Amino acid sequence: MVTRRPARKRLAKGADEGVPGQVARGADERVLVEAAQADPAEFEVLYELHFERVYAFVASRVRDRATAEDLSSEVFHKGLANLPSYEWRGVPFAAWLLRIAANAIVDHAKRAARELPAPDDPPEPAVPFDLQGSKMRAIEHRAQLFRLVGQLPEVQKRVVYERFVEQRSIREIAQRLGKTEGAVKQLQLRALQNLRAQMEGGHG
Amino acid sequence: MAKRSLALQLDEVVQAMLVSLRPRPEEAPDPALADLSRVAEVLRELPRQEFRAALKSDLQRRASMSEGTATSKTATGEAPARAVHYMRPGLTSITPYVIVRPAAQFMEFLKNAFEGVERMRMPAPDGSIMHADVAIGNGAIEVSDGNEEYPTAPGAIHLYVDDPDATYARTLQAGATSFYAPTDDHPSGDRWGAVKDPFGNHWYIAKPRGWTPGPEGLRSVQPYLHLRDAQKMIPFLEAAFGAEAMGVHKSPDGLVLHATIRIGNATLEIDEAHGEFQPMPCHLHVYVPDTDAAYAQALGAGATSIETPRNAPYGDRAAGVKDAWGNSWFIATYLGQ
Repeated sequence: MVTRRPARKRLAKGADEGVPGQVARGADERVLVEAAQADPAEFEVLYELHFERVYAFVASRVRDRATAEDLSSEVFHKGLANLPSYEWRGVPFAAWLLRIAANAIVDHAKRAARELPAPDDPPEPAVPFDLQGSKMRAIEHRAQLFRLVGQLPEVQKRVVYERFVEQRSIREIAQRLGKTEGAVKQLQLRALQNLRAQMEGGHG
Repeated sequence: MAKRSLALQLDEVVQAMLVSLRPRPEEAPDPALADLSRVAEVLRELPRQEFRAALKSDLQRRASMSEGTATSKTATGEAPARAVHYMRPGLTSITPYVIVRPAAQFMEFLKNAFEGVERMRMPAPDGSIMHADVAIGNGAIEVSDGNEEYPTAPGAIHLYVDDPDATYARTLQAGATSFYAPTDDHPSGDRWGAVKDPFGNHWYIAKPRGWTPGPEGLRSVQPYLHLRDAQKMIPFLEAAFGAEAMGVHKSPDGLVLHATIRIGNATLEIDEAHGEFQPMPCHLHVYVPDTDAAYAQALGAGATSIETPRNAPYGDRAAGVKDAWGNSWFIATYLGQ
């Protein structure tokens, strides 16, 4: 008998394993970075820790998902390639990655400006970013929300992904899940209420 | 009752947010709704799980390659044997390699929905399926549970059948969900329906009418790639595999609405990703006369290496590359035995 969602759980497993919520601080982070410098396979740990942060940063500064994915991918590939040159001087690894991201965004904006001079579209910001201030808190907030989606009950998580990532209609999601449209709207509400509550919990 | 109405109100806000390009939702009078709207606003940028996983495995592959560079040797001196026909008997030039879990259940789906015939199954020590092969019509689908290196990747497959309505009904019975029932209104002129199976694969089930059969007749199984910048795939396949574009339909602004591309004795189809049919980077098995040459050509055309050419224990000269869209191509030349 073929069941409905055989592969889903395992697919999402990576996101479910632990909450790499906070940046590892000080000595811990140094150990992780040095481990990855010694063995590139250990870069995976850094990726798990920083993916949402980098993606949130990039996505908040480009217009579309495809570009956000391209640039996020570029950041981690560069991070991996340049890892040997990262020196521990108390600069958090996250800041180092976000600097790579900021450069990638600026380069992308320059390329886009050359290729498509579209007067109606204001260019994406080609100025250095303030990586310390209130904007960083907003990025951390977004990254944390992305991580929390992975912790939602399975069906709520699925509604969130189908609605917000795949941008399916309520009717379509209802059909796919075998539920009524009203039930899907309730699941959407509960998912967002859960996320909001946990964000508050995390801050309180 | 009050809760239900909040669910409705929230969805109105979400709907407005998703269909418009406005960066911010309207200010909501209800403070609870305003809080939730801000959550919804952030969720619009939620990264795709598939992207997160794909980038991770990409980086793992990169990392393992950078470890191996010091010791790896090129195999330039070693010419592949060409004593036999370069395609493994039973396979054509292009075969979808579907890695989904559990692969054993997927094989049951292929049998129930498409009257697939299991031709081989190689279990891994842990009982999962390392490799299997199911014939459908005059084509085949290769199957595996995959592993860290070759992760789960459902794909889209165009299947030609005698009776699309009956096949469509069987897929639903076997657990698939419908995109749409077979219709005569499909732009191809074929009678054409579409479903998604429980493992995430798309199946386009069609009976040929308008379509011109490919080389050596019509193939039952054709991979269908939905791509961004689909037009760039054609020169890539030409350069890497000596492919030939057999029919390319473009929109006035240059997007590929549909193209059929021949490699050897089989075809695949591409189009510009649209609507529900978004890119699904997948695995493809392609038989070529000279794996080493195709591997080098693919890298020259912009692919990245997954695996350098080697003589695989199962009797193929085999290599792996990943194209710019994230599809993996297992390049192989059958060496006999």
